[in-house]
Amino acid sequence: MKVAAVAVSPLARSQFAWLAALVLCAQLPLWPYVPLWVAVVGSGLVVARLAMPADRRIPERARRWLLPVLALAVGVGVRASYGYFLARDPCVAFLYALVGIKFMETRSPRDGVVVACLSLFLLLTQYFYGQTIVAAAISLPAVLVLGGTLAALRDAPAASARWHAPLLATARMLVQGVPLAALLFVLFPRLAGPLWGSPADTGARTGLSDRMEPGSISELSLSDAVAFRVDFFGPPPGPALRYWRGPVLSRFDGFEWTALPRLHGTRLPAERGPTVEYTVTMEANNRPWLFALEHAAGLPRAPITDVTEPVAPPQRSLAILTDDDQLFAATPVTQTLRYTQRSVLSDRFPARGERDVRENLQLPSGNPRSAAFAREMRERAGSDRAFVAAVLDWFRSEPFVYTLAPPLLEGNRVDAFLFDSRRGFCEHYAGAFVFLLRAAGIPARVVTGYQGGEINPDGGYLIVRDSDAHAWAEALIGGLWQRFDPTAAVAPSRVERGLGAALPQGEPVPYLARLDMTWLKSLRLHWDAVNYQWQRSVVGFNVQRQRDVLKDLGLGAAHPWQLVALVAALTVAWGTVLLALARVRRIRLDPASALWSRLCRRLARAGLPRRPSEGPLAYTGRAAERWPQSSAVLHRIGDAYAALRYGPRDGASDERIAALRELIAALPNTRRMRSPR
Amino acid sequence: MSTASAGSPLSRWRQRLWRLEAGDLGPVVLRHQRIYILPTRRGLAMIATLTTMLLTSMNYSLSLGFALTFMVAGVVASALLQTYRNLAGIVATPLAAGEAFAGGKLEFTLSFASVGSERRGIVVRARSGPPVAVGLPRGATRPVQLAVATRRRGQLALGRVTVSTDFPLALWRGWAYLHFPLSGLVYPAPEVPPAALPPGPDGFDAYRSARAVDAELAGLRDYQSGDPLNRIAWKAVARGSGWHTKQFEGSGGSGPLELAWTDLPPGLGVEARLARLCAWILAAEREARAFSLAIPGTALASGSGPAHCRRALTALALYRDADTA
Repeated sequence: MKVAAVAVSPLARSQFAWLAALVLCAQLPLWPYVPLWVAVVGSGLVVARLAMPADRRIPERARRWLLPVLALAVGVGVRASYGYFLARDPCVAFLYALVGIKFMETRSPRDGVVVACLSLFLLLTQYFYGQTIVAAAISLPAVLVLGGTLAALRDAPAASARWHAPLLATARMLVQGVPLAALLFVLFPRLAGPLWGSPADTGARTGLSDRMEPGSISELSLSDAVAFRVDFFGPPPGPALRYWRGPVLSRFDGFEWTALPRLHGTRLPAERGPTVEYTVTMEANNRPWLFALEHAAGLPRAPITDVTEPVAPPQRSLAILTDDDQLFAATPVTQTLRYTQRSVLSDRFPARGERDVRENLQLPSGNPRSAAFAREMRERAGSDRAFVAAVLDWFRSEPFVYTLAPPLLEGNRVDAFLFDSRRGFCEHYAGAFVFLLRAAGIPARVVTGYQGGEINPDGGYLIVRDSDAHAWAEALIGGLWQRFDPTAAVAPSRVERGLGAALPQGEPVPYLARLDMTWLKSLRLHWDAVNYQWQRSVVGFNVQRQRDVLKDLGLGAAHPWQLVALVAALTVAWGTVLLALARVRRIRLDPASALWSRLCRRLARAGLPRRPSEGPLAYTGRAAERWPQSSAVLHRIGDAYAALRYGPRDGASDERIAALRELIAALPNTRRMRSPR
Repeated sequence: MSTASAGSPLSRWRQRLWRLEAGDLGPVVLRHQRIYILPTRRGLAMIATLTTMLLTSMNYSLSLGFALTFMVAGVVASALLQTYRNLAGIVATPLAAGEAFAGGKLEFTLSFASVGSERRGIVVRARSGPPVAVGLPRGATRPVQLAVATRRRGQLALGRVTVSTDFPLALWRGWAYLHFPLSGLVYPAPEVPPAALPPGPDGFDAYRSARAVDAELAGLRDYQSGDPLNRIAWKAVARGSGWHTKQFEGSGGSGPLELAWTDLPPGLGVEARLARLCAWILAAEREARAFSLAIPGTALASGSGPAHCRRALTALALYRDADTA
């Protein structure tokens, strides 16, 4: 009824300004993630509407078709830009433009509320593309502007009103709401997987893949993105020992190395010798594999929090260990994952038998020079082990160059690399090395993963970036799979000191992989330490972390309904505390009025309500006529109250109030008064 | 005898929830027992948006999405408390009921006092009548006039009054019911156009009387206490030339009128008679002529002045037909 009356009133200029600020706050963080034309149209409409005089409105007839037509046009455009529509990113782009269009045709506070709600949702969508501290920081002002907008939509601010007053009021409400928000953040149940079908396009970033073609790892090496971070229990092993094993590639088609299509077996790793234990915090990469130092001596478990000594309680494993020593998670890592892992630092592990030999000797036809070269060298070496050493020596002595920018090769690529160009990145060396071994009849395969990593002095953890991606080889000799790194033969410093040391001057080494510890880089490392904490405690707060926190709070075994009751109780406590802080106490009437009201109620119950126009003297006079037996008391009550109420104030009012109370108490009770005379 | 607090527990509950009976005898302090809060349409829209955001955050495991959703939810919850605080501790007191002719607006006056903090965006509304906005600075007391439309003569109770607010963000609407036993009088609507006054006892003829309604100013005489306000020559007062009362041609010169139910044409209905009597009383009062009134059940001796006029009008307002009484 009242809402409808308000709805037709047009928005004031100040209300438009607030609304535009809110829309822009929601739109701007999305600029890098939507097509340029969407950004220009969506935000341009807002600015254009704001530039229009407030009283010039779009005619009603145009208004009716403007929204649908513009929305349809943008929808078609988005479909054309992306090639599909029903997915996350096109929908975000469409919403981006839609908020602008809706703002354009907004004229009533009701439209304004619609725009505010759409903007609030749009604000959330930026987290699809990154949940950094910066993203969180720019959301805060947006929430304040949302409060200001709602306040402005409730009541158009006067021209004289200060613009920051609603922001301060919202900030106060925000601060008051923080305990509640924190409570919900910690206790609201998190899901392990998505509610509806796993969105195909979550996370644009992908790490290592399960295929390796020339250029795939060098491309990855150009990225500074963090693959995972590691906290070691105890001192971290040296750089040359830090081989983080990822996908194992056994198939070669002459161009590309790929993993076997099927994973074989689930084995329990055997404990051999001393182990290192560490906790890995992996960034989401939409891939199922987890990384462990070579070689895993256990299955990954949920992390042990806040302990310095590793303890091993029996826990659900997060992944399986395949026969070729890869860790496979049950589902792709779509959110930050933390696990504790144990490894034996060793470059060899036992083979699983016949199948290993069979699967790792296959070679496509082609590359005759390399095959002949390998066979001949094997003849000369006499034993497998000597042959491998000879091949590594050959890599070391021949003028091979380790570079991120090798020439493109055609035809027999291995031949061309080994005998002509001799310039390559780790994937070239690993691939060619395995080719030579297989040609000589030794089972061998390519192992990809990460090598090295950087210890962050500020926090004492290891950062492994995509630029640490690496490929090495593994050969089956004497029943043991043994690691060989031909890249180390060509560029030994790659393994010891990382990419920056191994590459020649002038190569496009990612900034953070360089060696010089400039102040800028040290600042970046500090920032990474802060980010790591952020990732661990806020962004990475998932099912697993929630379980840990509940356990720490002693709520590990609580039923869901107990948690719900807890949240409800704490919410009530929150409201009570806030109201108590605001000093909303029971407000008392002054005692004389309270006594008078009580008397009026009593007499009304007895059948003689006070008339609104009646003063105390007239009312008690009338009551005295009705109940003559109490007339003296009633008259005295009237006099006493009138004196208290209208007489001069003096010091004796407390005594007079007490006297009034006694007088009223002296009246007979209601039931006796009800049957007068 | 029926009173507000008597009756079964059920009816007591009904009274507590809806305040359908005029049970508030004195000043009322708005406390949590009386204050209701529900989300407005905007509040519902906001809650729906937050729910969507929550589902999205769950599906995509967006920790920051949860954080944002819960932050805004915290603001929404905090706004609820603010809405409550804006109402709690307001003291409402019934002050006065006015009078009106049927079809006009009857004005009731309540006073609202803010104990403690400043109150913003308070809206007071009688059951029928436009909402009235009240601003209450810290510790202030403000009278609020509620104009209620009238249709029929008689006693008109103010009825239940709603005090509401949607401060600060219009996401929540808080309200409380007040029901004071305040009632005003509605006089019959005067007949339009007014019939000519009946002839006075001294042969004062109807023609002159009818003209006297728009009589010419005859002159000024000295003010005597009791002269009606609308007869005072305010311009003269403003000029500083003393207090004078305007005298109109014919006024005061004729004898008292006798307004009697029985003298009216027999074909006239009850309400029509009352309307005509009302118009005559007003005309007599305007001309400052004494009149007496005789209607079934009531007889007023001849007299003049505002108090007499009000008594006469009250008698008309409260007239009960012998058949219906």
